Amino acid sequence: MTYFIVRRAAGFLLTLFVVSIIVFTVMNVLPGDPALTILGIDATEDARAALRERLGLNDPVVLRYLRWAIAALQGDFGVSYSFGVPVAELVGERLPLTFALAIAGTIVTIATALFLGISAAARHGRSGDWAIMLFSQMGIAIPAFWLSMLLVLLFAVKLQWLPPGGFPGWDDPMAALRALVLPTVALALVQAAVLARVTRSAALEVMRQDFVRTAQATGFSPRRVLWGHVLPNALVPIVTIVGLQFASLVTGTIVIENVFYLPGLGRLLFQSIGNRDLITVQALVMLFSVFVVTANFIVDIAYVLIDPRLREGRA
Amino acid sequence: MIDLTDIHVDGPAGPLLRKTSLSLAAGERVGIVGESGSGKTLLALSMMGMVSDQLTVGGAISVEGRDMTNAVEADWRHLRARRLSMVFQEPMSALNPLRRVGDTVAAPLIRHQGYTREQARARALSLFEETGITDPERRLSQYPHQLSGGQRQRVLIALALACDPALLIADEPTSALDAEVALRITDLLVRLSRERNMALLFISHDLAAVSRTTERIIVMYGGDIMETGPTRAIMQAPHHPYTKGLLAARPKLWAPILSTHGKRRLPTIPGSVPPPQDLPRGCRFAGRCPVEMAHCATERPALIHTATGTAACHRQTADGAGGQS
Amino acid sequence: MRRLPVNLLIGGVLVALVVAAAMLSVIWTPHPYAAMDIPNKFAPPSPAHWLGTDQLGRDLVSQLMVAAGNSMMVALLAVSIGAVLGTILGMVAAARGGWTEEAIMRLSDLGFAFPTLLFAIMLAAAFGPSLTVVVVAIAFINIPTFARVARAAARQVWHRDYVYAARAAGMNRFAISRDHILPNIAAPVIVQATIEFAVAILTEAALSYLGLGAQPPAPSWGRMLSEAQTLMYLAPQLAIWPGLCIFIAVLGFGLLGDGLRDLSDPRLGQRRSHD
Repeated sequence: MTYFIVRRAAGFLLTLFVVSIIVFTVMNVLPGDPALTILGIDATEDARAALRERLGLNDPVVLRYLRWAIAALQGDFGVSYSFGVPVAELVGERLPLTFALAIAGTIVTIATALFLGISAAARHGRSGDWAIMLFSQMGIAIPAFWLSMLLVLLFAVKLQWLPPGGFPGWDDPMAALRALVLPTVALALVQAAVLARVTRSAALEVMRQDFVRTAQATGFSPRRVLWGHVLPNALVPIVTIVGLQFASLVTGTIVIENVFYLPGLGRLLFQSIGNRDLITVQALVMLFSVFVVTANFIVDIAYVLIDPRLREGRA
Repeated sequence: MIDLTDIHVDGPAGPLLRKTSLSLAAGERVGIVGESGSGKTLLALSMMGMVSDQLTVGGAISVEGRDMTNAVEADWRHLRARRLSMVFQEPMSALNPLRRVGDTVAAPLIRHQGYTREQARARALSLFEETGITDPERRLSQYPHQLSGGQRQRVLIALALACDPALLIADEPTSALDAEVALRITDLLVRLSRERNMALLFISHDLAAVSRTTERIIVMYGGDIMETGPTRAIMQAPHHPYTKGLLAARPKLWAPILSTHGKRRLPTIPGSVPPPQDLPRGCRFAGRCPVEMAHCATERPALIHTATGTAACHRQTADGAGGQS
Repeated sequence: MRRLPVNLLIGGVLVALVVAAAMLSVIWTPHPYAAMDIPNKFAPPSPAHWLGTDQLGRDLVSQLMVAAGNSMMVALLAVSIGAVLGTILGMVAAARGGWTEEAIMRLSDLGFAFPTLLFAIMLAAAFGPSLTVVVVAIAFINIPTFARVARAAARQVWHRDYVYAARAAGMNRFAISRDHILPNIAAPVIVQATIEFAVAILTEAALSYLGLGAQPPAPSWGRMLSEAQTLMYLAPQLAIWPGLCIFIAVLGFGLLGDGLRDLSDPRLGQRRSHD
């Protein structure tokens, strides 16, 4: 088990290293002159030269990468070109909102999907199953940002129950919560539709196995068999998809924050793209990748916790 | 203790189990023999109230004097928790791979009998000892994948015994095991049945294993009973041509070793079992029967008494009871 | 004769509808899609404008049709590139095995580190937003997906008897891959391509909505929605139609993919039978 975790941890670190090289290359090397990207074609050659000097762009690429990577490891992502403050500070301000949105989205996704997926499996082939699958098939096809707009149209414009967007800050928890309801629903519903399908087919697969009959033959009720035996055994494929979905969820927050004008990391990313603030964009893209890679790593570890057969280092 | 009268099961494509009557007395050991598709598992499941709800079950059934004909799922569950038990074929997949086997055995005790965790553990330990599990103390906290096939099957039997059942149904309990392990499991089942005065319904395609285990045999084919009778009589003087075929298909001298080994499925009866919808309307064995008569395929023979039991064959009526074909 | 799966049927009809609209838009639209008619802005549906007009009096149907064309084009290009490159890599991995296979598969693992949207955002930030960036991003992230699918399928085919026979007959690995492996892994690759097509449509819409894809005046469902969002109180109907188009296109390709998979994998839908 230890061997397994060490192996995965090594893979995790290696992935992060390669990802950082890709991000650095795409943002810094491929476009040619970052100073040109930042300042635009109207800037004078002198201004560009000065910026190159200030950002250390005249140094060899490898040195620039190392400087960036080592500073980033210490939590220093440089100073935002457009905001004039350290990127780390910007991130610190906006992370809580994105984090809250992602966590709430994950919880709602998992709860909805498990409930729908297991219910559908229990009603396999009957109308309840059919209805749930129809819902999920449609949920998968709805773009999250369009669903957001429809939700805003209904609950904010028409019924006026919830705010259409914006964020009042954390000082008033009730108002903050209300502002997060629609974004969370929009974020989670689409993901839940995907996960519900996976849950259903995983559960159906498990229900075909003999130990379900054994549990039934020892007098356990269908509900107990379903939640006590079927669900735990269906968890490995479910967790796999949850891990993969976390990537969509993270990028989902980027879109959703922009739909609802929520001042999180995703909104910051877009403001920075608009401002041609390469330093901030690079830091944020790297940060989002770290989230995704970390989530995949946690999923790998979670397998071992779920399934005793994997604990013996036979990875 | 359990009586089935005219039990039958119908699927969407036609009957899967024809009207069948069967009784087991307390402590009696009965075997059901038949190839796959013979309806033997379906008959067993109907005794547990576990036939898939996509199939329809008809006929009357009573357990220990209680009429279960129109029982709802909750009544059946009550019985399964207390009086009826079943052991399945694949000992690997029949145990939840994510649970320690001790917890699996303890779960029904805690749930149905109100045991505390410690009591249930102690009881599971004694059940493990009773079923001959080696090193029982340590096994309690192991997972199914850490046990051998024979040990797993013993765990499943221990689980089945947890509720002190009046009837234990063993559905092909030895088919997935090595010959030697299989022998020990059959012996264990016989011993448990004797010691506990527990009825045993032993289901297998393997005539040798069944003859070793039971006092009475029911031979099934194509969802119908072909022949019944005392084990010794059936083995020595079968009346039905299908039973004769089964016996002939059995390797002679080294029978108990070879026939339980691997997946040998009685290959020497010519032809194979047709799918349910293609079975003849009359005698199910028509078409493969060596002594078939003109009306066999269209008229269903009744179960009539033979010298020792019953048999459903037109030859019986034609040649007189006990007649040779 | 097996019954045609329902999802295949519905998916096929929806896809045919969208593709037909997209192809028609090349030669004919009810109005020129960019023709403005300011006095006639926010017009309700009428015989002249079937779905009405937008904030500049442009015909909605015409815009939606041209947008369908753009969307299909982006998805077709991106998925084709990703599928061809990915399938080749997957087949090479399966054919060569050893460290080549290991290297290709480890590299394709990296695909999971970058969600398509994030990768596209990165490219758009570095090179400026355009549909080309969208195509490149989707194609790039599709390569590992197809490499996996192709390798998994190809590995199975390599163990079939006719491949052993071909090897025994002295055919080299390239010829075997071309003549035996490729035709036999086509089914899963096509199924995957259909599903990725749906994902690509969704991604293009999201990127254009964020302003990183189609640039004005090129009509795009996503961009139409982002413009409609600012007018939501004034003209909510503008927020309905482009979204519905995305929904229909994605649903269509998704159902079609599921249906094709059901057709090509007869194991699904089979039920366990009792003894």
